[in-house]
Formats: sequence, structure tokens, C-alpha cells
Amino acid sequence: MAAPSVVGGALRRIAPLIAALALSACSSGVSGPLPDPPTPVTAEEFTTLVASESPAVVNVWASWCLPCRSEAPLIAAGSQSHPDVTFIGLNVKDTESGASGFMAEFLSEADMIHVSDPSGRIPIDLGAGPGVPATFFYASDGALIATHRGVIDEPTLARFLDEIDR
Amino acid sequence: MEFSLLAAAAIAAGAFWLMIRWEAKRGNAAGCALDIWEAGITSAVAGVFIGRLTAMISAGINPFSDPGQILLVRSGVSTVGAVLGTLATYLFLARRDIVGGLDAVAPAALAALAGWHGGCLATNGCLGTESTLPWAMTLDGSTVTRHPVELYAAILLAIGAIGIALWKEHGRPWPLAPTGVALFVAGGVRLVTEPMRISLAGGPILLYGTGCVIGATLLGWSAITHTRSPA
Repeated sequence: MAAPSVVGGALRRIAPLIAALALSACSSGVSGPLPDPPTPVTAEEFTTLVASESPAVVNVWASWCLPCRSEAPLIAAGSQSHPDVTFIGLNVKDTESGASGFMAEFLSEADMIHVSDPSGRIPIDLGAGPGVPATFFYASDGALIATHRGVIDEPTLARFLDEIDR
Repeated sequence: MEFSLLAAAAIAAGAFWLMIRWEAKRGNAAGCALDIWEAGITSAVAGVFIGRLTAMISAGINPFSDPGQILLVRSGVSTVGAVLGTLATYLFLARRDIVGGLDAVAPAALAALAGWHGGCLATNGCLGTESTLPWAMTLDGSTVTRHPVELYAAILLAIGAIGIALWKEHGRPWPLAPTGVALFVAGGVRLVTEPMRISLAGGPILLYGTGCVIGATLLGWSAITHTRSPA
């Protein structure tokens, strides 16, 4: 009779751990009803929105954008630490169900309002190009202070927030 | 990884390499069996990986369900995870001569940190809190002058690296003393410059303070054991 292999024994021992990790990986993390999808806006409506009397941060995101998921916790943290700044999520080229699912899973703790631009023209016209994510920083007078293309990091977000929130 | 971060990493690796080369000409007893360059770079890469995993888990992102996000270093790397990961990896690689390996890499590690902070010139991330000092700088398109805090850190760390290297060359320091001083300098520089940084949640002050305490303890222990040991 052949002795049980060492590899087989080790695999049996870690099998429950692998199964648990796989199950946790499959769960979506969303429970309860999904939020309403973002409201579509025109370029004029968007301009009016960011020209309100408070400084604003506009984060361009989409549910199909992998880096947006990684960036979302930081955006949420910024929205909570700077209540005087209006955080606006600009959802682009997305489906309503995809956007609602993303908001529920990754931005549920963010203190921000969401609008959508199905064509994706607004960030392009503002100079960010077609890439997602991107982040715009507006002063309280509506002037565009800075544009960050790609995933934003914590020091950059903090620095630009300090610049507009004064 | 974004190109500007790659540039900063390249500056750090270049500073690390330069310090190793500089010290090699001055008899750096680089733990006989240890290639400091390979061990240092491997440890740094492992540290960044562990730091990224730590940051993802802290943010509630499952690395198993979103493995592609591990590459999004710009989204955040936990300083605590990266430091501990780097140290653990290096200690493992230098396990045959831990004291010699640590003392050998101490100045180069500080030089690499100096390069990383100086890499802010590539990432456009040098500036901190407001300042009216003559050398204060402004963000593009802004009129607010700010401390170039990352350059302060880079300069202080570079001074520390060169100082320890010269000490090793001329002063024959006790075993572990260079490591202790390097840890103290690395933690101290971050502690001193932290109030000039802007962040959402504050830096890991506890980690920097712990680095200072461990560095001072190593230095003290090294001095005590050296003076007690027979000549």
C-alpha cells in the first residue's frame, strides 16, 4: 500500500482555507436595495453644479473601471474629512444598473452627489481626455484649479483639497 | 504603476546603488555572503507588495476577488505594511549574518529613502503646508507658497546616509550602531517633517516614533555590549 503523499496531505489541510477564501472572493459585498442611478446632466447643468458657492471636487468614474474601485475609498474619505467641499461623482459611459451597483458597493460611505454623462464628453471637453478615473478641483468661484488624470493618491488629494478649501 | 512613480522609484534605486558603490570602495564589510544590491531591491519590492496588500485589505478590497488592483500602487501603499515587509524580507535574506547585513545596508537604505522623497520632483508632490519662507514654492497655477517638505526630508536623509557611511569608514563603529543610527534618522526625519505634510488622516506617527525608539535602543545596546566585552 502506497504511503499518502506529503503534498496531498498538505493540500487536504489547507483545503478549508482555500474554500473560505474562494467563497469570500465570490461575495459581492452588496446587500439591500440599490441606490438610484446618477442623474444625467448636460454640460451646462454640470457647469452650474460646480459653480455653486462652495469649492468642489469632481471625480469621474465608471463601474467598468477597475482603478475607480481602488480609488473609491480615498474619495469617500476625502468627502468625509472635508464637509465644506462639495464632492460630485461624474459617472461616464455606464449603464444605470452598473452605476447603482458600483455606488452601493464602493461609494456607500461617500458624502457626495452623483450625476452621469453617458457620452463621456464633459471630462474630455474639460481637458482630462477619455481616460477614467480623473479628478477635477474647483475653487468656490467655480474656477478649475487642477485636473488629475488617472488614479489619485492620498497626498495629491489632500494637497489639492487644501488648495481649494480655504 | 504610473510613470512618475516609476521615476521616483528609479531615483531611489539609483541612490541605493550609488551609496553601495561608494561604500564598496571604502571597505564596506557587506555581510560576506550577501549581495546587498539584490537583497535590498528584493526586499523593497516585497515590501511594496505587502504594503499594497495591507492597504487594499484596510480599504475593504479583497485581493483575491480583485487581484488586478494589486498593481494599482498609486491607489495607496500602507507605510506600516511596506516597512515591516521590507525589514522582514531583508532579515530573512541576511539571516546568515544579520548584524553585518544590517550595518552594510544602513547608509544605502537611507540614501534610497532620500531618493524616494527627492522623487517628488518627478511626481510633482513635494509641497506641504503653507509657508512664507524665502524658498517656499507654489503649486502650478496657485499663489499659495508652501514648504517643499519632501525636499527637506530628502536632504536630511541624504546627510544621514553620508554621515553614517563616513562614520563606518573612519570611526569603526560598534556592531549594530550604524543600523541603530539609521533607524533613528529615518524615523526622526519623518517625525520632524510630518507637521509640514498635508494628509487626510495624518501619517503613521506611531511607526516613526517606534523606529526612533528602536534605533536609539540598538545604539545604546551596541555601546553597552561593546564597552563590556573584553578587548
